Amino acid sequence: MRSPLIQSPPISATAKGPLPVVLVGCGAVSQLFYLPTLRALTQRGELAVHSLVDPSASARDVLAAAFPGARPCDSLAACDAPRDSLIIIATPPRFHAAQTLESFGRGWHVLCEKPMASDVAECERMIAAARDAQRLLAVGLYKRFFPSSDYLKTLVDQGQLGRLRSFTIAEGGPFRWPAATTSFFNKAQTPGGVLLDIGVHVLDLLLWLLGEPARFTYRDDAMGGLETNSVVDLHYNDGAHGRVHLSRDWATANEYRFVFERGSVRWKTNDANGLTVELAGTPSALRAQLLAPLPLTPAADVLQPSNPQSFILQLSNVIAAVHGREKLRVSGEEGLRSLRLIAACYRERQWLEQPWLTDAEAARARILAAQP
Amino acid sequence: MKIAIIGANGFIGTRLVEQFHLGQLHEVVPIVRRPVSLALPARFALDWRIGDALNTASLAKAVTGCDAIVHAAMGDPRQIEAMPAVLADAAARAGIKRIVYLSTASVHGQSPAPGTDESSPLRTGHTLEYNDAKIRAERSFHDTCRRHGIAGFALRPGVVFGPRSRWITDLAADLRTGRAWLLDDGRGICNSIYVDNLAAAVAAALAADARHAGPYLVGDEETVTWREFYAGVATALGFDADQIPALKNIPDFRPGTAARLQSLAATPAVQSVLPLVPGLAKRTVKNLLVAAQLPASVDAWTLPSAPGPRITQELVLLQQCRVKLPHAAAARALQYRAPVPFATGLARSLAWLAFAEGRS
Repeated sequence: MRSPLIQSPPISATAKGPLPVVLVGCGAVSQLFYLPTLRALTQRGELAVHSLVDPSASARDVLAAAFPGARPCDSLAACDAPRDSLIIIATPPRFHAAQTLESFGRGWHVLCEKPMASDVAECERMIAAARDAQRLLAVGLYKRFFPSSDYLKTLVDQGQLGRLRSFTIAEGGPFRWPAATTSFFNKAQTPGGVLLDIGVHVLDLLLWLLGEPARFTYRDDAMGGLETNSVVDLHYNDGAHGRVHLSRDWATANEYRFVFERGSVRWKTNDANGLTVELAGTPSALRAQLLAPLPLTPAADVLQPSNPQSFILQLSNVIAAVHGREKLRVSGEEGLRSLRLIAACYRERQWLEQPWLTDAEAARARILAAQP
Repeated sequence: MKIAIIGANGFIGTRLVEQFHLGQLHEVVPIVRRPVSLALPARFALDWRIGDALNTASLAKAVTGCDAIVHAAMGDPRQIEAMPAVLADAAARAGIKRIVYLSTASVHGQSPAPGTDESSPLRTGHTLEYNDAKIRAERSFHDTCRRHGIAGFALRPGVVFGPRSRWITDLAADLRTGRAWLLDDGRGICNSIYVDNLAAAVAAALAADARHAGPYLVGDEETVTWREFYAGVATALGFDADQIPALKNIPDFRPGTAARLQSLAATPAVQSVLPLVPGLAKRTVKNLLVAAQLPASVDAWTLPSAPGPRITQELVLLQQCRVKLPHAAAARALQYRAPVPFATGLARSLAWLAFAEGRS
């Protein structure tokens, strides 16, 4: 069985030739995700890596080995990519807004990694700048490209299993991201903990699937620093409700469970093309791998894209949108939605009860948690 | 005092940071080996630092400005043995005169002889490599501290349980999957110590007169059997403790060929020549070792059966213990008292489990 991404013929890019791409930030996300993605799309003729930008030569070297034709730069100012190039911003979030604005000034389109920026005001400036410069602003929320996400959205929108009643989401586990620096945990450099990190994906999916909640409550365990456990309870106008539990502390079930009127769906985190479906009244649950729709005549099964392939498809969509061949699937406006909800969560935050603390410790923890 | 806590991301280190900081007992400097380990310490606005417990220069830099060190870092047997000398050398370099090192009651074996206390001689040659590593580590700790004129306190807790402890999470998982068991009806003594009681012992060692430096056994006040420990967890999770099966046959724990080869490969001598071995040869041996450890494939004509008990040599040895280790020396010299009753400690541990599983 082969995936359609691999099986389909290379797009002939490209009436306008391969799109020049600048990658700024050569840390873990670029090395683990963008390197293979850029390689795949280079081979398909969709892009050409023009420049690799990072103040750290050792970080740049990892990518430079894969793209020997790319120009190494230690700052964006030193990069001479032509107008209409695409820049991928994969730096820490505190740099996103300034680098995006600078990029629009150079006439580049932007794909900005999640979270889109440090706060809502920065996001709004980025969106306004994109509009003024008539450039494209995309946000890296690649889980929307999962076939599993698409399947769930269809169920919610079209009601094949009836109305959604409730959901429970548990995602995360001990922090294992190969962070090279401590910036992830430095409140002055990163304005949020687990909610901002993995919550931005979870809340983006929920906003995409269900729209804005009518009300919510938010609790976390930050006591002067950054939270490592978060709980969000959400309620919707149609009566649906659900809980999101995120952790960087302890292994969660790492699953999303949606309960509809006529069945339930379980989705394991990051399983891009698999779901478990239980139809009400049937004796078993169905563990399903998602395939392309069945052909009319017998033929080999075609798997829907995997997790890495979904990441590639995200960049492919951005490139197609730059060329005007496709609609951009995750714009700056879309990226802003989850950050707006996260900002609201932090504004409304309550202390998450930690029942093993003594009464005196809990009292002190509440005081620390209430400090800005 | 300003206290550096090395291994601040581990189960004991995490609780020490919580207790000292939230209890306003000490100014805390959490130290971890890598940025990836900062998630839990970074919940607080603390002066956390990166320091390698196996590198004197790195650790000395990390503990600079502190008045004392608590060492709660974990590691494999080789790391366990290497860390105390690095620790004391780093403390000396940073001008620190007091260290509390977390050793273990397992230096006396999991099932010590009656009358065992701190004066009992420590002998290597235990069945478990961990015990021997901790014995060598403790010796190295005291020797290096003496050489530098540092007051070194080595605490020897038994079964440390609490939030994030494997004794809670493993038992919960075993009960839920039908893999828990008890030996001899659970009559063995588990020498428990709730993590807050260990934190109290650490606080006592930090406050004690430097002349009392040395090793101390520490534990809960109560004598707790394994049945009582298991029953507490089982009941809270909705299981009938009386239904926990008895372990009838103790397996032969002699290591197989694969385990012996892996142990041999971990020795410094083999590690030093490994780079000279061609990659293909290394991969072939590794694949053979993996294949040798794979479970036998199940015949399609077999109905699924309940999993068998999960038996570890450590737990078999622990459940044979008939001795409540004393903490009279710690009570006398450090004024140690376990402030939290066993039942309260267990209840708090289970409350954490519910929290971690999203049930609270």
